[in-house]
Amino acid sequence: MLLMTFINGLTIAALLFIMAVGLNLSFGLLRIVNLTHGSFYLLGGYIGLYVYKATESWIFGIVAAGIVVAIIAFIEEFTLLRRVRGKPTLETLITLSLAIIISDLLIVIWGGNPKTIKIPELLKGYVTLFDANVPIYNIFIFCFACFICLTLWLILQKTKIGMIIRAGVDNFEITSTLGINIQLVFTLVFTAAGFLAGIGGAIGGTYLMVAPGEDWRILTYTLLVIIIGGMGSFGGTIVGSIIIGMIFSFGNVYVPQFSLFLMFAPVAITLVIRPKGLFGRITS
Amino acid sequence: MLSIAPNFGNTFIIIVLIRIMYYGLLTIAFSFLASQLGLFSLMVPVAFGVSGYTIAILETKNILIFPYSALVGIILALIISTFLGVMVNRSKGTYFLMLTLVLGQLAYAIALQWVSLTKGTTGITGVNRPYLLNIANLESNILFYYFILVVFIICIILLYVLINSSFGVKLRGVRESESRMIMLGYNTSLIKWVAFMVSSFVSSIGGIFFVYFIGVMNPDAISLNASVKVMIASIFGGINSIIGAIIGTGIIKIVEIVLSGITQRYLLIIGVMFLIVILLAPNGIMGIAERISKFGTRFFKKNSK
Repeated sequence: MLLMTFINGLTIAALLFIMAVGLNLSFGLLRIVNLTHGSFYLLGGYIGLYVYKATESWIFGIVAAGIVVAIIAFIEEFTLLRRVRGKPTLETLITLSLAIIISDLLIVIWGGNPKTIKIPELLKGYVTLFDANVPIYNIFIFCFACFICLTLWLILQKTKIGMIIRAGVDNFEITSTLGINIQLVFTLVFTAAGFLAGIGGAIGGTYLMVAPGEDWRILTYTLLVIIIGGMGSFGGTIVGSIIIGMIFSFGNVYVPQFSLFLMFAPVAITLVIRPKGLFGRITS
Repeated sequence: MLSIAPNFGNTFIIIVLIRIMYYGLLTIAFSFLASQLGLFSLMVPVAFGVSGYTIAILETKNILIFPYSALVGIILALIISTFLGVMVNRSKGTYFLMLTLVLGQLAYAIALQWVSLTKGTTGITGVNRPYLLNIANLESNILFYYFILVVFIICIILLYVLINSSFGVKLRGVRESESRMIMLGYNTSLIKWVAFMVSSFVSSIGGIFFVYFIGVMNPDAISLNASVKVMIASIFGGINSIIGAIIGTGIIKIVEIVLSGITQRYLLIIGVMFLIVILLAPNGIMGIAERISKFGTRFFKKNSK
């Protein structure tokens, strides 16, 4: 029981990490909260479901979800957010209005009933670990998140574009004076975050469900991760996801009616002790 | 104008005006923070929900009746706002927006999850309107209308007095440059916290009227859609003025009533309208009116020369 709760917590944490890492990077760089991120997640889930049903290939569904959402993220950044660059509140409000529009459009297109994406044959079944039956899919999500984590870390630490992104998170004005087209980097990071959200939606939709309202739920948890971990911090995102994932999982098992009250605690503690988040360096 | 409106209208118009007024209180609470401090709080409906739920619970379980239940509702809303205010006090800008969104969503989720107290999605039904001090039965819509109108106007006057007092100047000082205000020796966290409490107070009054008028309290009242609608109304009317907030609420509520008769997905249209307003006229209707009046005075001066 304890072990199973722990593994569920890790799975949720892995899912939240996939969602939060993109959002946090674009947050650190662009200094705006992309409130469309939750809608990207749900959109990814629906597209994954649609393509999976049409092509019978789960992998293809996930890739399609990522690509379509990335394209939408690109359009959002390129046509709307660039127009009001430099006014963070207006940019955030635009992302909010888009989130409302997308989540309502999704209800128009796919209806209000919850849907589930079937777990592909390859990932069905259980593995017995100690005395718990662990679904293979949970292990898959965890490994996938580790893979993304490692890839992103390598990109951020070892490549030139990663260096530019890190420099931009610290101070994008000085970075742009070095002759770097920072607007292009903004667009790139924003699109990559959209891609991750789309993939996260398809994978998370298979684990949880695809339903209206999930977008705001996931967005709330993702933002909690960022508040606790700290803006623009890669390591903070990992720690934040694990904290929120564990609280979610253990709270749901032991105090089901009050599991959300527990969420207030880490936020309150973080805000009082370290208002910028555990690993945050950026002031808003 | 509002005070004579019911004599001309039928019950439908009165109901619409009452709805505009209690949502108007919510919008004013939002607008007060946004215009004076530059902070966009998406958890304004939390105080609204707390007072509404408190009243609904106290009345349906026959613990307390009207004046006392409303009083307890306001006090409880203020106590919870105290903690929330302390939590969000040190942030500003988009971070504040994000933080209030998260806290508001948590409050909504708790209202949904704490079934033994809030009855979950269905909400608490059967809240009766009070016999106000045994003189007037608030059951009739006209009396309810006048009651809310009086409270509404008192709230607006009080906020105007506050905005134009030295405290209002301090608030705008914090909005323009918090570091300078700290340097001048002001306790800016306290100033921000007091402003937050004022906003919560106005919002909790709106909650009282909401629960007595509708008779039902469910989590939808404090959902993200509710807080976003408040924000949209406020931005529609013009973020820099209280009058704008009231006009904005009027427009949004009327649009909502008209559209909801046609389609279920009216939020889509409101969202598109919101996007257009942000992109083209970020100061809303009052901003447009200001521009027109400036243009008019310039035109007039040019001609008189």
